[in-house]
Amino acid sequence: MPVISAKEISKIYETADATPVLSGVSLDIAKGESVAIIGKSGSGKSTFMHILATLDKPTTGSLEIDGADALKLSSRALDSLRNRKFGFVFQQFFLNGRDTSLDNVALPLVIAGVPLGERRRKALEMLTAVGLSEQAKMLAANLSGGQKQRLVIARALVTDPEVIFADEPTGNLDTENGKIVTDLLFGLQKEKGITLVIVTHDTDLAKLCDRVVHIKDGRIVA
Amino acid sequence: MKIIDLLKTSQKNLVRSKLRTFLTILAVIIGTFTISLTNGVGNGVKAYINKELGNVGVNNAFVVQARAPSEGPVGSDVVEYDPKTTKGSFGNLLLTDKDLANIQQIRNVASVIPAYTMQIDYISTGSAKYVASASQYTQGLNLAMAAGRVVDSNQADEVSLPIRYLSYLGFANANDAIGKKLILGYKNSQAQEVEKSLTIVGVQEESLLGNSSVYITSAEAQAVSADQNAGNANLANAYPMALVEFDENLPQAQIDELKSTLEANNYTADTIQDQIGMFSKVINGIIIGLDIFGVITLLVAGFGIVNTLFMAVNERTSEIGLMKALGANSKTVFAIFSLEAASIGFWGAIIGIALSVGAGKIANRYASSHFLKDFAGFHLLAFPIPNSILILAGIVVLAFFAGALPSVKASRLDPIKALRYE
Repeated sequence: MPVISAKEISKIYETADATPVLSGVSLDIAKGESVAIIGKSGSGKSTFMHILATLDKPTTGSLEIDGADALKLSSRALDSLRNRKFGFVFQQFFLNGRDTSLDNVALPLVIAGVPLGERRRKALEMLTAVGLSEQAKMLAANLSGGQKQRLVIARALVTDPEVIFADEPTGNLDTENGKIVTDLLFGLQKEKGITLVIVTHDTDLAKLCDRVVHIKDGRIVA
Repeated sequence: MKIIDLLKTSQKNLVRSKLRTFLTILAVIIGTFTISLTNGVGNGVKAYINKELGNVGVNNAFVVQARAPSEGPVGSDVVEYDPKTTKGSFGNLLLTDKDLANIQQIRNVASVIPAYTMQIDYISTGSAKYVASASQYTQGLNLAMAAGRVVDSNQADEVSLPIRYLSYLGFANANDAIGKKLILGYKNSQAQEVEKSLTIVGVQEESLLGNSSVYITSAEAQAVSADQNAGNANLANAYPMALVEFDENLPQAQIDELKSTLEANNYTADTIQDQIGMFSKVINGIIIGLDIFGVITLLVAGFGIVNTLFMAVNERTSEIGLMKALGANSKTVFAIFSLEAASIGFWGAIIGIALSVGAGKIANRYASSHFLKDFAGFHLLAFPIPNSILILAGIVVLAFFAGALPSVKASRLDPIKALRYE
């Protein structure tokens, strides 16, 4: 059974021209698989990922997560689902610069209501896994770009998620840091058997994945 | 999220924009300070009045006066003269022995004690004489005493004097005066100086509601009055007012009935509390007037909170988006922002109340060593803890409501739009 099963997903924004962003996109993602969704800017790949991650709702189509209809869940249940099962890596990091690295990594655990001691332990464990244990007490604002992206990966992994959604994870990094981050991401994915969904326009990054899905003008082309 | 984490997050957010938060809290502080201070004055004065009312102590008596028939304003009918009536000073009708006897007959009246008209000129302990007035002591009247006790109507020759005369009369302290002789001087009906020697049994504290005169027993007052009014048939057996006592366990319905019976018989009947209650009303009016300023300041502060929170929501849009993406629900986001708003109210109110209590302490110290020096037990400002808690709670609720609109806005943010916000 696929972890995520999307069928005939369409998304139309209520604008004047009403051009569909996605039209009839279907995709099954198996457990432990790494999938790259590749396409140009404006192709609808980010919107597709948002729908897969329950951050956005499709206009038509169906979405099953672990066999359950995700579109019928309450927003509260979806919040809880994202918190427990999904991890997110964003291109723009979305770190809180005024907080320490440790606090940033612990944020999903705070939201989940995990007690302080366990929160610290898990966050420190993840910081060690991404090689940032020495920067645990540093403010996130004082980290380098590569360190920030590693911190974001640590935050995505701290809840032991089943699926990680990464939106242009190397987009803001130079080649060297990009390689460090991809090695880390794929290493942890394989080690922990996590399902990885990467949205990118970088074909080199996409090649590292088990499967590549091309999206063009809101449709899967290959 | 756990409540402790919600609180921590909101406090952390509060200090992010320190100057903005400080200015918003400052407005709350000023409003709270004003309200707490005006309430402090009100409570101080009211506590004192209540204490004095307790001092008056006579809860089971009416002050009864004869009601003067109206002479009528211009244009109304001229009233025919009734030879049975007698007018005292200020045109008030006087009560006669016959009136006293009549009142005594009314149901539920326990006793009738007339107030004797008398006027003393001075008090003295030897050579120097000091101007003073004397009042007739009514049994049950609680005077605050610095030393000794009130005069006893069953004992002869007793007097109590106000504390301010002590040093002039050559007494070292209040206890020193007890048991000593005090001479009361007055003029008799022949305009001759008469002196009366009484034993000091008590020294009265100074009070706002007027017991700055020496107190003598009814019997002494009657003797002085008789001496002063001898030969004047109009005044010899006439009294400006009488204290009509009733049983202290008399039900309110019967007290009201007694009052209306007295009024039906052309007397006015007021309890002492009725008379002093007027004072409280005036004080309350002034306090409410001052409170309005504080409330206006707090309303302005409330708009400041609304503004601050809207700015915070805009600044933290992407952060809210992230939290929602990571699984924070709308209630959590609402709680974080409304707790921040309530905290602005809380800290502002705490600081405002603390400042007003501090200012009150300084004002009380100054007042009791200057213009209120002689009024023992009078604190200009009082801050009862339940009142302060009520003010605190009120302001926190106000701040919460002020933060409601921005908090709802934050809680309704779409995570995708919020994350694209940057």
